[in-house]
Amino acid sequence: MLTGEELDRYGRQIMIPQIGEKGQEKLKSAKVFVAGAGGLGSPVSIYLTAAGVGHLRLVDHDKVELTNLNRQVAHWTGDVGRRKVESAQEKLNKLNPNVTVETLSVTISEENASGLTEGFDAIVDAMDNLPTRYLLNKTAIEHRIPFVHGAVNGFAGRAMTVIPGKTACLRCLYRGPVPESKFAVIGVTPAVIACIQATEVIKVLVGIGDLLANRLLAYDGLNLKFTEFKVQRNPQCEHCAHL
Amino acid sequence: MAVKVNLHLTLRQFTNGQEMIEVDGKTVGECLKNVVKKYPAMESSIFAKNGKLSNIVEIYLNLQSAYPNELARPVKDGDEIHVTMMLAGG
Repeated sequence: MLTGEELDRYGRQIMIPQIGEKGQEKLKSAKVFVAGAGGLGSPVSIYLTAAGVGHLRLVDHDKVELTNLNRQVAHWTGDVGRRKVESAQEKLNKLNPNVTVETLSVTISEENASGLTEGFDAIVDAMDNLPTRYLLNKTAIEHRIPFVHGAVNGFAGRAMTVIPGKTACLRCLYRGPVPESKFAVIGVTPAVIACIQATEVIKVLVGIGDLLANRLLAYDGLNLKFTEFKVQRNPQCEHCAHL
Repeated sequence: MAVKVNLHLTLRQFTNGQEMIEVDGKTVGECLKNVVKKYPAMESSIFAKNGKLSNIVEIYLNLQSAYPNELARPVKDGDEIHVTMMLAGG
């Protein structure tokens, strides 16, 4: 049941026929796991909070650094040195106190990933490294939780949604490990990709639209082009073949 | 007519910004080798030392994933190959 304040706050999106009051109630009762409070995690969290997703669990082990501020918009100059999750939580609470923003300043690992994500309605991949992205993909499949992938480099980005057991997962295209390297990025790129991820999460939670599933969306910000590639499940995929 | 090879944004540093290269070839592998002949500095970004595709590269043929055995996929004039990258940043 939505309160009068919520009916006002979300009035413009309740006007969208595909959302309506019922959709808003679904958002209110939803729990979303956001892995990373950086370039992608900041806008994803901001837009999910603004949209009225009832419960966010935001996980990031880092502290805010000056070099983060060109893109990680939940963190401001005065936040340098603070834990990212605390910095983000403060802004998100001010944006929308109706949303429960739970924060954990821990490293997502093989040991804790399953427990951290259990019971959530969607997992957002807002990480900055491939090993943790694959770990979250595997965990999402284990729990049958929709997984919304996004990644960036420079002016380039990509996004894909995984419905475990039904659509291609991140591991379906895996060829082997990739060495880690520092990536270039300008803030507008993760902003675009994060907004696509948040859109996908809202659609998953409300149960509307055509998801970015079995489709990889590649973004080229320099030429402002989106290209959509068809992907398919890999029958030998080590993460999802058993489903 | 030839095969069009579209290069990911991160590879265009080797082509002076050119996005699409037309090459001849009967397989994806031949086409990529011919791209590398034109732009040798790109080789280590696409291929591993053993001549296989680098783990970070994804190949799409006519907008469809060519995984697995991408390099052996036959192509014909007018086909489009996209060389994209698995991105890690966030």
